[in-house]
Order: sequence, then structure tokens, then C-alpha cells
Amino acid sequence: MSKENYIFETKNLSKFFRDPVDFQALKNVDISIKRGEFVSIIGSSGSGKSTLLYVLSTLDTDYEGQIFLDGEDLSKKTKNQLAEIRNAKIGFVFQFHYLLPEFTVLENVMLPALKLAKYPEPEIKKRAMEKLEMLGLADQADKRANKLSGGQQQRVAIVRALINDPDIIFGDEPTGNLDSKNAQNVFDTFKELKEKFGQTILVVTHDMALAAQTDRSIRLHDGEVVK
Amino acid sequence: MSFFKSPVFRIAMTHLVSKKRQTIVAMLGVTFGIAIFIFQAGLMSGFQSTFIEETVNTTANVRIYNDVQEVRQSILEMSNTNKNAWIVVRNQKPKDEDPKVKDGKQIMDLIEKDPEVLGVSPFIGTQSLFRLGLAQASGRVSGVNIEKENAIFDLEKYMTEGNLLDLETSPNGIILGEGLAKKLGAKIGDNMTVTSPKGVALDMRVTGIHKSGITELDNARAFINIHNGQKLLGVDGSYITDINIKLKDINTAETIAKHYHDKFGFKAQDWKAANENIFSVFKIQNLVTYLIIISILIVSGFGIFNILMMIIYEKMPDIAILKATGFKDKDIKIIFLIESLMIGIFGGLLGLLIGFLMQKIVGSIRMDINGFVSMKYLKFNSSPGFFIFAYCFGLIVTALAGYIPARKAAKVDAIDIIRSK
Ligand SMILES: Nc1ncnc2c1ncn2[C@@H]1O[C@H](COP(=O)(O)OP(=O)(O)O)[C@@H](O)[C@H]1O
Ligand SMILES: [Mg+2]
Repeated sequence: MSKENYIFETKNLSKFFRDPVDFQALKNVDISIKRGEFVSIIGSSGSGKSTLLYVLSTLDTDYEGQIFLDGEDLSKKTKNQLAEIRNAKIGFVFQFHYLLPEFTVLENVMLPALKLAKYPEPEIKKRAMEKLEMLGLADQADKRANKLSGGQQQRVAIVRALINDPDIIFGDEPTGNLDSKNAQNVFDTFKELKEKFGQTILVVTHDMALAAQTDRSIRLHDGEVVK
Repeated sequence: MSFFKSPVFRIAMTHLVSKKRQTIVAMLGVTFGIAIFIFQAGLMSGFQSTFIEETVNTTANVRIYNDVQEVRQSILEMSNTNKNAWIVVRNQKPKDEDPKVKDGKQIMDLIEKDPEVLGVSPFIGTQSLFRLGLAQASGRVSGVNIEKENAIFDLEKYMTEGNLLDLETSPNGIILGEGLAKKLGAKIGDNMTVTSPKGVALDMRVTGIHKSGITELDNARAFINIHNGQKLLGVDGSYITDINIKLKDINTAETIAKHYHDKFGFKAQDWKAANENIFSVFKIQNLVTYLIIISILIVSGFGIFNILMMIIYEKMPDIAILKATGFKDKDIKIIFLIESLMIGIFGGLLGLLIGFLMQKIVGSIRMDINGFVSMKYLKFNSSPGFFIFAYCFGLIVTALAGYIPARKAAKVDAIDIIRSK
């Protein structure tokens, strides 16, 4: 076992829903992701992609099996510890670009870093601006988040996911709500992050053309990884 | 990092500002509650303390008198040692109908030597009929040594006309309570007659008018010299019915009264016991007022509860994203607690200010109230402690009203929100 090579791993991951009926949404899922890999999860609707991602992201703790992030067993952590891990080590991009509408783009990006409080505020601001610049969003920094277009908002969400230099970024159909041009734009951003900065990324998508641009795809079917 | 720059504080403030109108309405709820608190409870507490103060000023710290109605143990009961025996004594009569404090002079001398005592004043009192020309009224005369009485009750302060000490120098002077003087149409220098139940009538001359502020007293009380009092009752110069005592520390009254009772065998009543029924009326009054005020504050608490629930429902996605990016349940709870506390802190401050202004404005209008007590202006309790109490109380209600929504927000399941979008 060469565990050290993997930044992220699951072992025997299973998930049951009891409501409305007993239903196993994930069946003994084993996934291993190397540092710097850009991986996609594909599968038809209802195959368990989102469910898997919520479990991996530590938001959903009601599962069986183990999840390792950078060698740390997440299944043994408390809720508060998991919140800290999400804050410091995990980045998140959802299908719907959840930005806080009353805050500016810059403030949205800064919030997780202010929460982490690893750097003083001026430093956080500088880093946030650098990252916005990298994605070509610097000129939007002082606009209210809800004044941006959908594609722009999604890219801001990516910057926010990046702000604390996470070990891994998760995306649940981050392009699902965008037209193909903007979707490609977002994927280009991911590719750039991987290539330039060695960022590890795991995205769910049902767009095969986009999935084909990732290093590899994991196919889910009825909650099982298809070999 | 300072708390006011922390993300939770900024998020809380942003929520409030983005819901300006509802925030202000919720704030005004608290403002109203606190203002009413300051005004209403301040008025009541101000009135009560004025009344208590005046009453205590006109009540001796300790009063020694011969309580002829006091139930005594019968000799039969005292001599009986068999606890199982029933003893019935019918028609037990007071031993001595005469309310005289025997050896009053000697008792006073002893009390005067007590280091706890500031002043001692002898007193002889009786019901009387006052007559001035055709006008007549009944009341009580107080036969006193006016100098000693003044040392205890500060009578000089309450003289509205005439000189207090004229009573000492004029052989047949009388000081009338203001209400009594009005009933009789009496003015300084008028001649009048005082008749006691014993049938003794004395011609007196009005030397002063007195107003304690307690209407009931001022309508019926008159001061005369103690010798004239003794003449009215047809008794000798050693006869007194009461000894009034002023203490250095009024809080020792109860123990000292008990001590004197044991020592001299007469009834000794402290000022608290003498005004017991007033204090119990005030207790009920306080209870009712505070119940009303608490209800108002609870209603404003619902206002806060409402706006927070509204914000929480609207901000579900925000809560989900905050949790996803690493904010703990506790942080979310703090956000909404800050929101309710902000409403409470600022709404409450405004309430304090408005309550204070209401006190000042209403307190500056001349009322000339002649009820239970007579006052020219309404008196309010405006002590800092009272304001602090009202404010803290408001903050507690606010915090309680904010706690339930805040806990609900903390329990929001991020996945439910993200999935359902
Ligand atoms: N909260 C839930 N309760 C019960 N069943 C659920 C719940 N969430 C998802 N499911 C079921 O789990 C399966 C996987 O759902 P999901 O992970 O959303 O699929 P995908 O994202 O691949 O479309 C589906 O059959 C769905 O109905
Ligand atoms: Mg899905």
C-alpha cells in the first residue's frame, strides 16, 4: 500500500438513506486520488454522484467506511474538527454559485480566510486580489456579488474555494447551470489550476465532453464504482 | 483580530442592514418596552419612595406606648403547667384601660442614655373636636414638646406658615395641619376651641400651619404643647401616652424595639411594623406594574424572534455556504445572537433615552396632586441603578428571544439546502 501517494482516499464507503424507504445510495466505494490529479465523477442522474461528493466533503457524516485526507482519517473527527478541516483543507464549488449576495466579490473570497485567520487581514486581501487577478476577475472585486453574471459568479466561487490553499477542491456539477461557453471557461480555469499550481480537483459532471478533459473519470452506477 | 472585524460580526451586521425596515421595527419594539419601563416603573417607584420617605419621616423609628388592646395571658394560663389541659377564660378585660406610659419620665431618661439613640420625645395624644366660629372639624391633637418633636420629625421643614417654635413661647398656641386649617378656615392668629372627649375645652390661638405631605395626616392633625394636652385629658404633668424615639441607624429599629419592649414592658413598635400595610399595598402595586412591563417586553421579544426567523429562512443558502466553507454551528449561532443583541442594545439605548426624556418632560409639568400624598410635581425614580436594571432586563429578554432562532440556524442541515436548490 503506497498510501503516501494519495492525497485523498475512500475505503469501503457506503451510505444508506432510511427515509422514505431503506435505500443504499453508495456501495463500498473505493476511490484514490493522487496529489495534483484532476478527476471527474460521471454517471447517470440518480447514480449517487452528489451523495458521494457530500460525504467526501465532510458535510455529510452519516456514512460507513473511511475517508482519508492527506493520511488523516476523517471518519473519526468531531463536527467541529471537520468544520476546521473544511475551512483549511477543502475547497468547494456548487452547481448554484452560492455567494453571499450582500457582500462584494472581494469580501466573499476573503470570508473563509478571515475565518481561518492564518494571515492578518491586509495579507488576506492581497492574496484574494492575486487570485482574483489570476482568474481575470480583479476588475470585479468591489462589485456586489449578485451583480455578476452566472459564469463570473461561478469563477468567483472557485477563487473562494482556493483562498486557503486547500489540499483538494470538490465541485458538484459546477458547470451544470452554465451555457457551454461559460462551462468550458470554468473547466479551463480548473485545468489551469492543475497545471500551474498542481491543484488537486474532483468534479462531478454529466457532460462527457468536459469529463474527457480531465485526467481520468470515475463512473458511478447505482452507487457503485464501475471498473 | 478584534471581534468587530470578525467575519461573524460583519455577516450579522450585513443581515441587519439589508433588512433595515424590519430591523428598525424590531428595535422600536425594544425601545418602546424599555421607555415604558423607565417611565411607568420610574413613576411608581418614585411615588412609592416619596411616600415611604414622608411616611417614615412622620413615623417614629421606635414608638413606645401602652397597647391596652394587647392580648395578655391570663393568670390561670400562666400558672398552669399541664400542657394537655384546656383553659378557657371568657370576657377577659384589658387590665388597664388607661393608655398611660407609667414612669414615662424615667424611661425617657434611660433611653436618652442609649448610644444608639439620637432623640427622644414625649407625646400625649387624643381625639378632639376643633371649632372656629361656626366651622368645626374633628381630628387628633398631638401634645408635644415641640423642640424635641422637631428634633425627631424635622417639623420645621414642613411649616407652610408661622414659626414652629412659637408654640413653645405662646401659652395656648396650636399648629394646624394644612387640610384641617382649610376645613376650619383658620389663619395665623385666629382664636379657636379644642374640645377633648373628656369634655375639657381649651381656647387656643393658631400659631402655624403645617404640611407633612401625607394628606390623611394633614387633614386631621394639630400640635399643641404637651401641658395643654395633659390639661385636655385632665391628667397630671407626668402623664404621657407615647414615647417617640429617633435612632442613629433606622435599620436597627426592629431589634431595639424588641429590646425596649423586654426592658420596659410596654409595646415598642418599629417604623416598619407601623407601616406594614402600606408596604404590602406597594408590593401588590409593584407586582402588577412589573407584570405589565414584562408583558410589553415579551411582546417586543416576539418582534425580535420574528425578524430573526425571517432572516434565517431567507438566508438558508448563506448558512449552507458558510457551513460548507468551514464555519462551525457555534459561529452560525453567534451570528444570529449578535443580530438580536444589536437590536436589543441599540433599541434599548434609545428606549433609555426616550424614557429619560419622558420622565423629565412629565416631571417638569406642575401637577399639584393632592391624593394619597400631596406633591407639586410627579417624582420619578431616575437613579442610574434603575436605568441599568431596565436595560439589563431588556437585554435578557432580547437574548432569550434571539436564542431560539439562533439555535435553529445553527442546526440547519447544509446538505438539505444545497440539494434542494
Ligand atoms: N435525502 C435523501 N433521502 C433519500 N434518498 C435520497 C436523498 N438524497 C438522495 N437520495 C437518493 O439517492 C440517490 C442518489 O442521488 P444523488 O446523489 O443526488 O444522484 P446524482 O447526483 O448522481 O444525480 C437517488 O436515488 C436519490 O433519490
Ligand atoms: Mg446530483
